[in-house]
Amino acid sequence: MDVELIEIREFLASHAPFDRLPADALDALPQRLAVRYLRRGSPFPPDDDDTPCLYILRRGAVEMRDAEGNLISKLAEGDLCPSPCGAGMADLSGKTAEDTLAYLLPCAELDRLREAHSAFAAHFDASMSDRMRRALDTMKDDTAGTALMTVQVGDLLSRPVTQGGPDISIRDAARIMSEARVSSLVLVDEGRLVGMITDRDLRNRCLAAGLSPEEPVRRIMTERLHTVRADTLGFEALITMSRLNVHHLPVLDETGVRGVVSTSDLVRVQSANAVYLVGDIRKAESVETLATISKRLPELQIQLVHSGATASQIGQAITAITDAITLRLLELAEAELGAPPVPYSWMAGGSQARREQSSHSDQDNALLIADHLKPDDDDYFKQLARRVNDGLNACGYVYCPGNVMASNDKWRQPLKIWTKYFNTWIKRPEPMALMLSSVFFDLRPIHDPEGLFGELAERIHTMSKKETIYIAYMAANALKHRPPLGFFRKFVLIRGGEHDHTFDVKHRGIVPIVDLARVYALSAGLDEINTPERLRAAGAARALSADGADNLVDAYEFIGTLRMRHQAAQLKRGEKANNFLSPDDLSPLERGHLKDAFALISTMQESLGQRYQAGRFA
Amino acid sequence: MSGFLLEQRRLARFRRLPDCPLRDYFAWPLPQPSRDYRSVEYVAVDLETTGLDARKDQILSIGWVVVAGQRIRLGTARHRLLRVEGAIPAESAVIHQITDDEAATGLDLAHVLPELLWELSGRVLIAHHARIELGFLSAACKQLWGVGLLIRAVDTQSVARRLLERRQIPFKGSDLRLHALCERYNLPRHGAHNALSDALSAAELFLAQAAYRDSGHGMKLGDFL
Repeated sequence: MDVELIEIREFLASHAPFDRLPADALDALPQRLAVRYLRRGSPFPPDDDDTPCLYILRRGAVEMRDAEGNLISKLAEGDLCPSPCGAGMADLSGKTAEDTLAYLLPCAELDRLREAHSAFAAHFDASMSDRMRRALDTMKDDTAGTALMTVQVGDLLSRPVTQGGPDISIRDAARIMSEARVSSLVLVDEGRLVGMITDRDLRNRCLAAGLSPEEPVRRIMTERLHTVRADTLGFEALITMSRLNVHHLPVLDETGVRGVVSTSDLVRVQSANAVYLVGDIRKAESVETLATISKRLPELQIQLVHSGATASQIGQAITAITDAITLRLLELAEAELGAPPVPYSWMAGGSQARREQSSHSDQDNALLIADHLKPDDDDYFKQLARRVNDGLNACGYVYCPGNVMASNDKWRQPLKIWTKYFNTWIKRPEPMALMLSSVFFDLRPIHDPEGLFGELAERIHTMSKKETIYIAYMAANALKHRPPLGFFRKFVLIRGGEHDHTFDVKHRGIVPIVDLARVYALSAGLDEINTPERLRAAGAARALSADGADNLVDAYEFIGTLRMRHQAAQLKRGEKANNFLSPDDLSPLERGHLKDAFALISTMQESLGQRYQAGRFA
Repeated sequence: MSGFLLEQRRLARFRRLPDCPLRDYFAWPLPQPSRDYRSVEYVAVDLETTGLDARKDQILSIGWVVVAGQRIRLGTARHRLLRVEGAIPAESAVIHQITDDEAATGLDLAHVLPELLWELSGRVLIAHHARIELGFLSAACKQLWGVGLLIRAVDTQSVARRLLERRQIPFKGSDLRLHALCERYNLPRHGAHNALSDALSAAELFLAQAAYRDSGHGMKLGDFL
């Protein structure tokens, strides 16, 4: 190859599927190309080629329409139009939407490449969803320090498990631990895990409590343990620990207890400080301390992104911290205001409920109060709510712009009023109610000592079983945020202002999937809240095809991870994190996969729209 | 370049010359200006030189690519470094990023020119600010075979100037630079700045200019000369 065509070679090498060709095949490619210039408004692909050719867009843009004239796809720099070679898009016809420079590869050459290079050929055979899955895998591999993302907790347990029976004395238990140099002891009865003790239990429940070391260890053990499976990823274990604020988790496999994984085992693999942040939060004595701790959230997000965590995993970790802050704020408020006059439940809505927060999301919350509250009692809850809302705001969870917060009288109500609210939303869905649906159909109790939330949930479940109309309305609502058809300077990017030349990755990519997942979950009567969990459960319940579910999960993770990375980069530069992504910051490959993800969302929206004839309710 | 009696002069030189690569070139008729420009074949050429004076300065490198059937044929793209006598003036080394060492590995003009002449036979030359290319190529022919080059040429800069003047659009000299014009037509900016990438840019610019001037019914080659 003439080395000077290297620029064209590099262009091809950075776009799918040519990126999958080996170097020598890429070297030979440019000289097989011809170049054409097509003015805006020219038919595309042109029909005047002597030999049919694959078209590769170098500059410009093309709109492809179906026989009815519907806009199906937009092609931009790096996109292919293989229809003259009979490989897809055959029933589409297009026009150049801008002046366009295209590279032409004769179909015969394309066929030769497809025969010789299977990875290259796979692009034309593979469905869009396969391409996306591979992209996601690459993304996970990409980042350095993936240890905790890939290691299974079973692999962290080197020594044989240290265990004893529940009836040995506390002294014997302590001796076993000390000899084995471990900080925890699993207690097993007839092969069954019955409990566990840790160093801390020996200190707090035995020595400090003045309990005789001759007592059976059963008296100080922790029962009803949370466990993890041996194939659980290190990262998931860490998140479970931060959520529960524990430092040890027994690890089970098919044969029984394999051992105990501790935070220090995990931290040895990688320093991830979510668990420590939660620990600090529990000890914080003032809102100011909490605010200081929460300043480390951006750092955590950056660290997680760099360790190769996906959007879901980061969302889980950050939400665990938000939950801890919320709980601590409630404890601090109760310490000042005294015990509540009647039981209540603090509910989180939106992304906190779904465990999908990034640092820092807005706050959405509400207060559910027992029905027997007296008129005077509301003052207590008003003050409680005000303190927690202000505290969250001080910690960076800014006030909800729609005022969906417990300090708003409307969202601080007894059970019977909440029941009435949901009754209205379900039986007579209105636009206003739909606006709130993303908050109130994603609801999770953060603090609910008396199980009030369970009562509300039962009632919602009973009401919604008889009614389906609200699901049709929600389906229509789920079609409001449409993904872009492609990305083009001229078509979807925000023009002018602070966010010039960007697109809103949250509202055009993530919200559409979250909305879809909610509709599937509600229509199948599922109680999952987290979006990937909703999608998987809906797939299992046949509310959508298993493939459709998997693909949407992948799309969600791919788009979400791009967003998290974008935000991490901003935070690292000391900027405020936002959702405005510039296509220029994406590699051509990422752009390609993002387009696939958008196309998938669009397809799923179409089929949802048809199922509910959503147009009628829009 | 004046096209007056060009074809007659070509024939005369063909008859006068002894057997040599330039004679082979002159054996091919020059495309007539009355032909539809779409049926003509072109070679976009760019030279890098040690200066602007064709009588004194030398060619450092030549890049070319054939345009046929309104398509640039990348398979014909060539880039040739030439051996230069004496040291390369510092300022042109900076512009073209060709050093003495590289130039020392270059080819002889006597080796490269026949290759280019073969491609130019029966075709039209495309260059941006073609005066340089025509001047240096003609001087090189004269140096090797005693007779200058005759060829029809599309100067993309003149085409651009005429287009702007006809539309009465005010412009500055810098608006007529190759890369400024490429940007105007939404053409890629080729990263490396060398004789081949500029030849390629000129070829792309010509396709764009033709697409803008041709209403779809064709035009005469003469309209571009």
